[in-house]
Parts: sequence; structure tokens; C-alpha cells
Amino acid sequence: MTGYFLKTLWVHVRHGKTLYLLTLAGVALGVATVLCIQIINRNALSAFVGSVRAVSGHADLMVVGRTPDLPESLYPRVLATPGVAAAWPLYRIDVSLTGRRDFFLEIAGVDFYAPLRLPLSAELFTGGHSLSAPLTTPGWVAVTPALAADMGWQVGDSLRVSSGSRAARLRIGALVDFQRFAPLATRKLAVMDIAQAQSLLGTPGRLQEIDVKLAAGVDPQAMSARLAARLGPAVQVLSPEQRRNEAAGLLAAFRLNLTALSLISLFVGVFLIYSSVQAALVRRRGEFGLLRSLGATTPQVVGIILAEVVGLGILGTAIGIPLGWWAAKQNVAVVSATLTNIYLLEEIERLRIPPLLYLLAVGIGVGGAFLGALLPALDISRRDTRALLAPFTLHEKTSRAAPHLALAAVLLSAAALGWFLLGGRALRWSGFVLGFVLLIVLPLLTPLFIRLFCARLPVHSLGFGYSLRNLSARLQTSAFALASLAVAVSMLIGITLLIGSFRATLQTWIDQTIRADVYVTSESWARAGGQAVLAPDILQRLTSFPGVAAAEPVRIARATVYPSGRRIGLTGLAVNLAARGGHIPLYRGESAEVVRRIAAGAVSVSEPLARKEHLAVGDSLAIYGPRGVVRLPIAGISYDYSSESGWALIHPATLERIYGPGPVNSVTLYLKPGIGTGATVDRLKAAFAGVPLVIRSNRQLRTEILEIFDQTFAITRILQFMALLIAICGISLTLIILARERVAELALYRCLGARRRQIFGVFLGEGIGLGLLGSLLGCMGGAGLAAILIFLINRAYFGWTIRPAWPGPEVLRELLLILLAAAVASIYPAVRASRTPATELSLER
Amino acid sequence: MNPAICALEFQSVSKIYPQPGRNGRFALPDGRYALRDVSFAVPQGATVAVVGRSGSGKSTLLNLAGGIDLPSSGRVLLDGEDLALPGDRRRTLLRREKIGFVFQFFHLLPHLSVADNVALPEWIAGRGTANVRRRIAGLLERVGLADRLADPVQKLSGGEMQRVAICRALLRQPRLLLADEPTGSLDDENGRLVMDLLLELAREEGSTLLFVTHSRELSRLADEIWQLQSGRLERP
Repeated sequence: MTGYFLKTLWVHVRHGKTLYLLTLAGVALGVATVLCIQIINRNALSAFVGSVRAVSGHADLMVVGRTPDLPESLYPRVLATPGVAAAWPLYRIDVSLTGRRDFFLEIAGVDFYAPLRLPLSAELFTGGHSLSAPLTTPGWVAVTPALAADMGWQVGDSLRVSSGSRAARLRIGALVDFQRFAPLATRKLAVMDIAQAQSLLGTPGRLQEIDVKLAAGVDPQAMSARLAARLGPAVQVLSPEQRRNEAAGLLAAFRLNLTALSLISLFVGVFLIYSSVQAALVRRRGEFGLLRSLGATTPQVVGIILAEVVGLGILGTAIGIPLGWWAAKQNVAVVSATLTNIYLLEEIERLRIPPLLYLLAVGIGVGGAFLGALLPALDISRRDTRALLAPFTLHEKTSRAAPHLALAAVLLSAAALGWFLLGGRALRWSGFVLGFVLLIVLPLLTPLFIRLFCARLPVHSLGFGYSLRNLSARLQTSAFALASLAVAVSMLIGITLLIGSFRATLQTWIDQTIRADVYVTSESWARAGGQAVLAPDILQRLTSFPGVAAAEPVRIARATVYPSGRRIGLTGLAVNLAARGGHIPLYRGESAEVVRRIAAGAVSVSEPLARKEHLAVGDSLAIYGPRGVVRLPIAGISYDYSSESGWALIHPATLERIYGPGPVNSVTLYLKPGIGTGATVDRLKAAFAGVPLVIRSNRQLRTEILEIFDQTFAITRILQFMALLIAICGISLTLIILARERVAELALYRCLGARRRQIFGVFLGEGIGLGLLGSLLGCMGGAGLAAILIFLINRAYFGWTIRPAWPGPEVLRELLLILLAAAVASIYPAVRASRTPATELSLER
Repeated sequence: MNPAICALEFQSVSKIYPQPGRNGRFALPDGRYALRDVSFAVPQGATVAVVGRSGSGKSTLLNLAGGIDLPSSGRVLLDGEDLALPGDRRRTLLRREKIGFVFQFFHLLPHLSVADNVALPEWIAGRGTANVRRRIAGLLERVGLADRLADPVQKLSGGEMQRVAICRALLRQPRLLLADEPTGSLDDENGRLVMDLLLELAREEGSTLLFVTHSRELSRLADEIWQLQSGRLERP
């Protein structure tokens, strides 16, 4: 049988080139979509992990703070702990390259005399230099060779950086090639003496981390517990793996949702494969019937089919892997922006495909092809092969099964809803279950949907009505194409509704929150947050600037929630309610009361934080302070869309009480009536020229927030497009299959006097009909998916309230695009069908 | 024969099916063409039976007569118009207006009802009007299927299906009816009934009927019997 298979394989491929190509496309696109997302997902943490490994890879344990930073006094206590062979302090700070607001260097301030592993270049040790240079040369810094090459820097060059409102001049003393130890470490990692880093750029006497090397034979877990007990609750002792997992937890929801969306593309691809395999079987039913009659066993025949399909799967995977890699490279910038803007992680600088992903790709491609072919292959194992595979018999069977399939859909929906209402809703992943059920229900409904809409249409010509009737006459084929299109359109519409609703909600929130006239931060603030300090004199000048009526200085700190360990932000702000129009956007609580209570020591937590930590007004927010757990009464819950990890609004005095005096990181300015914002911004920029400040008007800040929002969803848009592309391939494939099945019918039309363009029109109408029906069904599915995304998945994983909105113009545009794509996909099959000669009916060819 | 009253005329028509790699010619088992130098003229309203063995060229003759295929040489005239000259569009319209087909295997569309199958030619012409529906009902009544209008065609017997096909062929009152083994899929009794009906309706509608059969008995029902042998036409 192997010989037969090999001999006939090329013949079948040659005779069904388009079918095979479209199937290949489906497999390749499905694999590429999933792989693209997985490559990005896997590499999302790579730069962060690489950077940690580059500097701390040598360490067995890392001591980090549950408070914004650590006091230097902890360092000798760590050193003195039995079992610690060595320890070294680290001061990490992000600084901005002067004049390049969006370009950050990650400075690691290290003790050059600690047993660190720093791959420094030879320049440090030549020309009379020594290891004392980093300590004695003001602003001495070592940068990576990759960055130096990018920026055209050489050893000896100077660069100006800023940290908060402070500017500093650094001098490149050496190159440090971290990629030798951690190939994926960011090229923007730079090293300088810890004392210089603290004094020039940060805060003397404070650390971010103490790395620990254990003595031989010491159990890391036991030592971790010993250090934690010795150092107190304000610190955390982590292994490098735990550190990585913490960061992974930050991205968990983001990555999970991307993965789920990419799997929808795969789901659609499997439909495509099913359709093409089914078509091949229908075309070759005589061949298989003959093989069976000549004594080929069922497993042999099924084996031929599956071998062919697995071959397609392998080929499709081979195409899909480089395609997925290319797609990942094209989209890495978009995802990186989200990582840096929203999650404050390093951007993805380099992509790597872990070996496991190759296996995953093969599993998806070959497995998906196998899955799509399994049912048709098993179908052929029935005894009466020819009768079973006579095309119209199958269509009739599907037509008879349509009500039963629809009933199954109704029952499945009812069961899922029942499960949800009776307890399933308490489970975080209930939204995914309902989403999955929706994706199963839609295909089950398509046969009946087609019948209801198309079977009894009145027909008076070979027009659009006739085309729709033809779809209902061939349910076995048309239903699968429609199902895959409906699923893809559901995803398209569902996500469009989600994004549209989210954007509208965000817009409302912006209108209610961004009330000040001018917002002043520093260039490094976006990355450095609480470490980006506005100097007191700068603050003084800003608040007393002509035209300024009121100012809200803001102090930011990072905190850790007890006992969950969740990292959150604290915004220390004395809310000027009058300047804000007497209102702050609250999910729970009343503005004036909340502000009053905050001034008295309470907090307002963000909605995501409240949901994830199950907090309500009247509860307490427990965070780790330097001297133990601090419990802060919750006065209100605020809407917030700036971060999914959560933050709390706290009075500066309360913040000072917990963490001691601290600097201001940003300030918002309210102008006097009649003072123009634009002119004031210009005057501020002129007055503070040379100071690394970022001064934005209210309008500019709103625009930037929406730009970040749009960027965050860019990758999702690409997934929508991929799924739709696969589904449109399905329309083309289906129409080609229909043209093959209906050769006699098309020849009959020609005999009866139908012109070629009429037959072209019939097929074009069938394609547009599929597009129309798919859009209709997809809109219904999309509305359901949007509801699941907005009310279940988003709330469970991100914690935001999104008010449903209907982005009408955008949805309409997408639907028109779908119809246009369906029409375009129909052209080639329609042309082929129109070329069917009338002589196909002749017996004597 | 006066061309003005001839529904169909063949003038020295030959048809060769080229076989790749053999000088472009396909040779039948005994080395002759599918049709060789065939000439005839069928007067309007006549009934002609063409008989011959399998492979003698009968279906080829019907294809050429219906404008579905073109001769390799010679001329095929339908109502005096050379079918090779006008191009595919004109030929298609001629077929639509002037020719009706009845096939051995009926070629009804299983997803359409009996009435819809009959209506198909008018749908193709873009004229599904009330008048047409009346004509369809009348034709189906004429063939004894008046109560089966809405039935799916799969529920019909073979003889009933062929009767529907005859109604479809006659719907637009064609000048020429071409029937390719119209009783080939039916038993003797049904075949006879269908043939009688076909002949009767053709006469009533004033259509010229050219039918192919391998049954000598049925061929005797025609006005003339022609024999095709190895692509050559023999007339009495």
C-alpha cells in the first residue's frame, strides 16, 4: 500500500493544486499565529530574566524589599549571617538619555570589589587604569558593546543622563559584555560604582537588592528562611527562579489572553483542514471504493488518508514556523511597548525560539491536520463507501441532522449557563469555559441557520437568491465554511466591541481624572517611577510659576500587599477636590467623604486591586512597612485603567508616616482662570530648559494615554486579521469544492443556455452569501464573546469595569471588509466554475 | 432541401478529438474520427431517430447539434444560422432560445422541487413570472404530475423524473429538441410510455425532435431512422 500511496500522491496533488495550497495555507497560518504569540510570550520576560541573570546570575539568593527600597544597614547583617559565603549590594535605577525621552539605561550600581562576575573589557586594565577607576573617576560607567555600537560610543566618550530632575554626565570607562553570561540580557544594562550611582542618580544609603552567595553545603531554602527571620518582614529572600516567577505573574493575564486568542485562529484552521479533506474524499470516493473492493482493509484506506494529511501537516508546519517567526519579529516592537509602558518590564530586544516551541509547532500543525481529517477518515471506514460518500447523500444527512445539531447547541448552552449560575462563576476561568462553549455552539448552529435563511427563498432567476438556496442544498460543505467564518467573525467583532467599549470607558475615565491643566514629570519617570525625583527647588519654582493657581505634588512608592505578596503602587497625593470639580471617579464611595478620610489616614484602592485582593470599603489594606505590617482603612475604591497590578491613593503624610520623608516625583498644576494652557506649557518649557522635565498639557497627556491604549491592543488586531484570513481561505476552498462537486450541474446550466457570467455570478453570490451569513452569525457570536470578555474574563484577570459601548462605524467597516474579502475570495472559484464546458454532460468524451 | 424550413442542417461535418502526442488526432478503435463528413437536414417539425452502437458518435452528433461543441470541419446550421460563427455568447443564447435537451440520466437538480426543476430554463433567462408558473403547471399536468409540483425530485421514480425533464426541455417552446437516450435508464414499459409522451408533446409544441437510441423498437416511432456507424451517417 505504501507504493500505491507514493505513486498516486503526486498525481492527486497535481490535480488538486488549489485545494492542497489552500489547506496548506490554513495549516501554515494556524501554526504561524500560535507560534508568533508563543514566541512573544516566551520572550516577554527574556530581557528581564537576562538582566537579572547578567548581574545576579552568580547569586544563590537575592534579598529584595517589600518596601520601596532597603536600608544599607541591612547589608552587614546579611554578611554576618552564618552560611553566607559572600554578599554584595546592588542599586538599580533607570535613567533617561538626555534628549531621548523614550530611551532608558538600566544602571546597576555594584561594588566592584565584591565577588561579582563582570565581563569587563580590557580597557579598564590598560593605560594605567585599574579597578579603582570606577570608584575614582566621576561618572564612570561601563556599557555593553552592543549599545556602544548602536550609539556610536567608544570608551572615553561622555553621555548625559537624567534621573528625575537631576542631570548627570557619565563617562564610558569600559565595555561590559553581559551577553556572554546572559545572551538575552538587555543591551541597555550599564554598570557603575554603587556609591556613584546612589549619589549622582539616586538616594545615598538605600539599596534595591543584596545578592548572596552561600557557603558550600548550605541549603538555599533553609538559608532563605533564616535570612527572612533575621532581617524582618520588610524584606523578601528569593531564589533567582522565584524572582523570575514573580515577574511572570505580572504578565500572566496578558499572556494567557493572547494565547487564548491565538488558539481561536488554530480552531478556524482545523475547520479549513476538515473541509479540504472532506472534499478530497468526496472526489476520490470511487478510488477508495475500488481499493476496498480489491481487498484493501479499512485501516489501509484510512492510513492512506491520514498519511496524506499528516504530510500536509508537516509541510504546513515547515512553512508556518518561519512565518510565525517573521510575524513575531514584525510585532515585537508593539508588544515591547506594552511591556515597558504598562508592566514596566524590559523591552524584548532579541527573539529566540526555545526548542519546546518547535515541538509545539509540529504538534499544532500535524495534530491539527490529523484532528481535522479524523472524522472524514473514520467516516470512510463504513462499509457502503460509495453510497456514503455520494455528495448529495452527505448533504442530505447534514440537512436532516441540522435540527439535532441545533438542539445540541441549545442544550450545551443551557448546561454551560446552568453550571455558571450554580457555582461556576466563582471560578476565575469560568469565562474561558463559556467562551469555549460559544465557539462550539456556533458551528453546531450553522446548518440550521443556513436552512432557515436560505432553503425557502423565492427564486425567479439565477440571482443572489439562487446562490443562497444553493448554500442550503450543500450543507455538508457550506456549513463548515460558514462555521469557520462565523468563529473568525465572532472573534473579530467580539474584540472590536471589547476594544471599543474599553476605549469609551477609558475616555470617560480620562475626562473625569485628567482634570489638571499641566502635568510635569521627569524624563526618567516613566521607567524609574518613585526613583525619579523632582528636586525641591524645581518643585518650588513650578508651584509658584506665574499663572498657577494650585498644585498637587505626587509621591510614588512601591509596596507589597500582606499576605499575598502582590506588588502595588502607592500614590501619595493630597487631592485638591475643588480643583478637580469636586469629584473623583469612584467605583465605591463618595468623593468628599473619601478625600476627607484619606487625609485622616485611610486609602482608596484601585478597582483591579480591590477585585484581586477581595477588598471592600471598610476593609483594610495591609502592606509591609519597614517595621512590620501596616493596615490602612479603605475609604473608597477608585476606577483606574493605568495598571492591572493595582495601586492605592494615600495621603503624603500617611506615606511619610510609613516610609519616612520622601521626595516628590511629579506634580500637576491647575492654572488660574483665563490663563492659556498652551502658552503656559511653552513658558514652562522655556523657563526649565536644560532641566530634564516632561511638561504636558492636559490634551497632550490624554492623547498619549490613548496612544498607549491603542498600542496595547495592536497585537490583538493582528490575531483578528489572521483568523479572518484563514476563514476567507475557507470560503475560497469551499467554493472550489462546490465547483468540483457540481460539474454536471454547471454543465447542465450551460446546456440550458446559461452564460458564463451567470455561472460566475452564482458562485460569486454564494461567496458573498457565506460572507453575509457569516457576518450575521458572527455578530451574534461576537456580542456573546464581547460580553464574556468584558464582564467575565476582563474582571477576573484584569479587574477593570468596562462599560459596553457600540463602536458602530468600526463594526460596520469591519463587516464591509468581510463582505469584500468574501467577494474577492470567490472570484477565482467563480471563474473556474464559469469555465465548465457543457460537454461535461456528454457520455462520449 | 430549402434551408428556410430546416430546423437543423449538417454540412460535411467532421469531429476529431485530438489525443496528445499522436499528431493531435485521436483515433477510435478502428481508426475513424468521432464523426466523419456527416451531412443532413432535418425539416421543422420532423422526428428523427439516430441509432448506432456505443462509440458510434451519437452523443457527439447531439453535442454539435446543440452548439455545445464545435465541429472540426463543416458547418452546423440551426434555423439557417451557423453555430460556429457567432461565438460562445450567441451560441449560448441560441441554445437558450431554440434548443431543449433531454438526457439519459435526467440531470435534474436534487435540491430543487419538481416545479423548480422545470422552471430552471426560465430562471436562466431571468423570467420567473406568473405566466411561466402557469405554463409549468400546464406541462406537468400534461405529463400526469400536476400533484407533484412541490415534491423533491428524489421522491420520483425514473419514469417520473424523465417526464419532468421533458417538461423542462419544452418549457420555452424550443425549435429543436435533442434527446440523448431518453429511455436508456428506464425499463421497457416506462421507456415506451416516456417515448410516446415525448413524441406527442414534441408534435403538439411544433418542435423538431432528434433523438438518439440504441433501441430499434423505439426508433421506429420516428419519421426517419438514421444509422451512425464509425462516425458516418447512413440514411435510408
